[in-house]
Amino acid sequence: MSTDIKIQGNSLFSDALRRLKKNKLAMAGAAFLLVLTIISILTPWIAPYSYETQDLYLGATPPSAEHWLGTDVLGRDQLTRIMYGSRISLMVGVIATSVALLIGVLWGTIAGFAGGRVDSIMMRIVDVLYALPFSIFIILLTVVFGRSMLLLFLAIGAVEWLTMARIIRGQVLSIKSQEYVTAARAIGLPPWRIISRYLIPNALGPIIVYTTLTIPSVILLESFLSFLGLGIQPPQSSWGSLISYGVETMEEYPWLLIFPGLILSLTLFSLNFLGDGLRDALDPKASKD
Amino acid sequence: MLSYIVKRVLAAIPVLFLVVLITFILVRIAPGGPFDEERSVPPQVLENLNKRYNLDLPVHEQFFSYVGNLLQGDFGPSFKYPNRSVTEIISTGAPVTIELGLYALIFAMILGCSAGVFAALRPNSWRDYSAMSTAMIGICVPSFVLGPLLVLIFGIYLGWLPVSGWGYSPGDKILPALTLGAAYAAYLARLSRGGMLEVLNQDYIRTARAKGLPEWQVVIKHGLRGGLTPVIAFLGPAAAGLLSGSFVVETIYQIPGIGRFFLQAAFNRDYTMILGTTIFFAFLIILFNLITDILLVWLNPKLRSEVFNQ
Amino acid sequence: MQKLICAGLALLMLMLSACSSDKLTPAEQGINTQTLLIANGDEPRELDPQLSTGSPEHSIHLALYEGLVSKNSKDLSIEPAVAESWEISDDGRIYTFRIRDNARWSNGDAIKASDYVWSWKRSLLPKFGSEWAYLKYYVKGAEAFHKQKNNNFDEVGIKAVDDKTLVITLNEPCNFFLQLLDHYSFFAVHPATILKHGDIDQAISKWTLPENWVGNGPFSLKKWAINDVIVTEKNPHYWNADNVKLNAVHFYPITDKQAEERAFRSGKVHVTYTPQLAIEKIAWYRENQPEALRIDPVYASYYYEFNLTKAPFNDVRVRKAFAMAIDRKLIVERVTKGGETAAWSFIPTDPGGYQPKQYYNYDIKQARALMAEAGYPDGKGFPPVELLYNTNDNHRKVALAIQQMLNTNLGVQVQLLNQEWKVYLNSRKNLEHDIGRAGWIADYLDASNFIEILASDSGQNHTGWKSDIYDSIIAELKKTTDSQQRFKLFEQANKILADEMPVLPVYNYSDVNLVSPAVHGWHGNVMHYHPYNNVYLEATP
Repeated sequence: MSTDIKIQGNSLFSDALRRLKKNKLAMAGAAFLLVLTIISILTPWIAPYSYETQDLYLGATPPSAEHWLGTDVLGRDQLTRIMYGSRISLMVGVIATSVALLIGVLWGTIAGFAGGRVDSIMMRIVDVLYALPFSIFIILLTVVFGRSMLLLFLAIGAVEWLTMARIIRGQVLSIKSQEYVTAARAIGLPPWRIISRYLIPNALGPIIVYTTLTIPSVILLESFLSFLGLGIQPPQSSWGSLISYGVETMEEYPWLLIFPGLILSLTLFSLNFLGDGLRDALDPKASKD
Repeated sequence: MLSYIVKRVLAAIPVLFLVVLITFILVRIAPGGPFDEERSVPPQVLENLNKRYNLDLPVHEQFFSYVGNLLQGDFGPSFKYPNRSVTEIISTGAPVTIELGLYALIFAMILGCSAGVFAALRPNSWRDYSAMSTAMIGICVPSFVLGPLLVLIFGIYLGWLPVSGWGYSPGDKILPALTLGAAYAAYLARLSRGGMLEVLNQDYIRTARAKGLPEWQVVIKHGLRGGLTPVIAFLGPAAAGLLSGSFVVETIYQIPGIGRFFLQAAFNRDYTMILGTTIFFAFLIILFNLITDILLVWLNPKLRSEVFNQ
Repeated sequence: MQKLICAGLALLMLMLSACSSDKLTPAEQGINTQTLLIANGDEPRELDPQLSTGSPEHSIHLALYEGLVSKNSKDLSIEPAVAESWEISDDGRIYTFRIRDNARWSNGDAIKASDYVWSWKRSLLPKFGSEWAYLKYYVKGAEAFHKQKNNNFDEVGIKAVDDKTLVITLNEPCNFFLQLLDHYSFFAVHPATILKHGDIDQAISKWTLPENWVGNGPFSLKKWAINDVIVTEKNPHYWNADNVKLNAVHFYPITDKQAEERAFRSGKVHVTYTPQLAIEKIAWYRENQPEALRIDPVYASYYYEFNLTKAPFNDVRVRKAFAMAIDRKLIVERVTKGGETAAWSFIPTDPGGYQPKQYYNYDIKQARALMAEAGYPDGKGFPPVELLYNTNDNHRKVALAIQQMLNTNLGVQVQLLNQEWKVYLNSRKNLEHDIGRAGWIADYLDASNFIEILASDSGQNHTGWKSDIYDSIIAELKKTTDSQQRFKLFEQANKILADEMPVLPVYNYSDVNLVSPAVHGWHGNVMHYHPYNNVYLEATP
């Protein structure tokens, strides 16, 4: 029985990979994300300018041969700042979302699967955390722990997991009443096997969708946190902070909003195409088609 | 069913109490007090100000007297706006925020769900891509960008709609609702597409199709019920997020809602106002989560016995 | 489905076009009705002149209340207001005011000298907790009464001789006392109204709500919708009502700078009042609507505080080197760009005639020499220091420019650190910063206003710097009335500040506001003082 499942699992995985490879959009998304990651890792060596060096006499200039994406109001090269920003933003996006994903999925699955009193206590804890004033919480964090990047990830993850947990729990609740889960329970499979074998894989669709949606919102949330004094400090840049500064001057210097906005959008598109591709590829029922 | 609701309402009491307790502790240990300003207040004046708000008492006594007043429905006077009580400010601001949130939610539901279902019917077609791309733009453009952008286009360049205000003219509620709802519309589009795709592959849908039912009947009668489950699960958090997150939109459009106070109170260290607005939003969150849970069960009859008899 | 979408779009277009009729903007309607619309920053805390501390309240007080004297908005000279005349005794300590016969409260009651006595008592009662009580310490016995060393208000130097005669006695002669009388904490409030809604020393009261409110200004309070609008209308009982041309002034609380500018551009308000137009917008208005752009220098200082209690800024050479390594001209011309002026002294040039001397300059060579002398040649061995500022776009840009100047000129690395407002205040108060941003806007036109901030026991001195000589100059100033003599003392203080450099002056603020060309009688001045009495609206052809 168990070897059977394993073999099937392997073929499912290679099947999924094969299907994913056929999905052109998903592959394009993956390629974009890969290139972006490589660029952001190599930024210190390939950036055209220094991210902090100002040229106050130059000021804000539109894209030109010297500055491909223009310069900001302090005369700093926009391309360089976006490149450095991607290091921070991608890191925040990936790590904070992973934190949220890990806690949220575990919490939601356990609550939904256990049901009864455990479920209601776990979900009431989520309610309490939801209701607490987030800005005060962040202000306190900055004061108690200073301003480490790690704290930034934890702070964002700590907020984002709540919604994740609720969505997963809802999903688990509805899956758990399906026949195959009831059957699995009846034959006495241990709960963790049911969770890992049936519940999580079947909730994968919403998990992937929500994850791809969380990454950009986390990237933007980072700029609010640096407003409260947590996380990065000028002259460092992030996409979130570039966008929020860009808004203020969107009529005068539109390129300061458009380029960081564009790169964030492209990232999100890629994430979504890849996410959809993954979802379709992993869908156990789609394989029958 | 009824006993379930009663149980949940009773469970809300410890939740609210914990929220009050933790918030009370958080605001007290946050650096800076309500009377710290650029011009530092002379010590003897500060002493009198503290006395005015009972801040000279030991913290636990402050807490119990606050909770005591709370039980009588008194949220205390605001520190920042001393001649208004927190109750007054919430009761004038809340209806505005709720109205705004409602419009935004309706907008997000209609646009988001129809786009999502529309896309799911022909997955991987141009329809799907265009609907989903639009949705993604909605997510990429946060309200602090979308708001000013909409104001500039419709308020200033075209001059079609008012740039700010609430209730002065019929048009002034359109832009705020669009701005607030856009991101949620996008989320809902994604979630409903995902949910629908999931369901449309299920056996009972195949059966329905095989029976030769018209496609729209299959979708509406059988598909929506299951396909919108993730949407419904998201509605609770979404409604709460719309309300507590409305401060950006309220600031951009100068709307006299409670969202502005919620954020400002934290910056002002307006202790009573932070607690008051937090309790208010906590209440709403609990309410929406309850409604969501009831809806989820209602949509999935198999769950009924499981959940309601716990 | 597609049909449905089309129908929806059509409906939307219909709604939009219905809204976009060729109606007049509120600002244009305001011209017809003589209603001035002001974007007024934050929602005011309260409208009790003896409690208020902020500038949004100040601009509303100018409509609702009036002091014994007021200022001319063009040259800030003192003019009669509730008092039609006054006499000052030869020793400069006793002021006798004659209150106008036709000075009335907005409910028709006559304003009596005893109302002032009652009001001042209120503001000095400790339980009332007025943050401005210390301004009255110039008055005889006021400090002792406020600090509860004496509980008999009869000992305080304010007396109503009869209904219309008020006598005020000071401890020492004070050059700017008449100016202080125009500060809203010195205004009278209507005793009967306040007592109807609470005790004399009760700060939390409903008396300032529109249905209860009574005041004595050119306008009276009609509506106060939180975070929405404050409506004031012409007060027929105001003594000079015949010369008030506006019928109403509306104040809109708009906190966001960008939203404020958009409200102005779309014709929702006539005036943006607080505090500053966004830098990038200044250039646009210079180009496209110069008639709406008002730039006025303000009697105010933007500066950085050094923390002298720890290394490296306990060394005066380092402080001086920093002060010399910053190109202020570049900052005001290329970063702030709003008509600010480079500051080489903490005390700004006084419109009253005092001109501080400049003791140092932008001098990289000397700055480097000082750093080398202090043991940090080319910045080597300089410990990491942090520059603290509160989260704000302008502060960030100035800090970034200074960070780079210090790096290129002295080779030192300064880390920027932004904090949320209250956290920042707290860090400064506890001297946790190395360098901290600060600003000071004068309450009255006198250099002592700035000098006193850095007194050893001042609550605004977040440097840990203490100087006995400096404190003795402040004490001397309190006794000196001769202006030439005072100027000499100002200069001594200025020299000490340049020698010791506890603070690093960066620039003197300016006010950048938008005022519709239809607004007449709106004069620029260094005190950001804009009364509404002589303002009227007239469309420009």
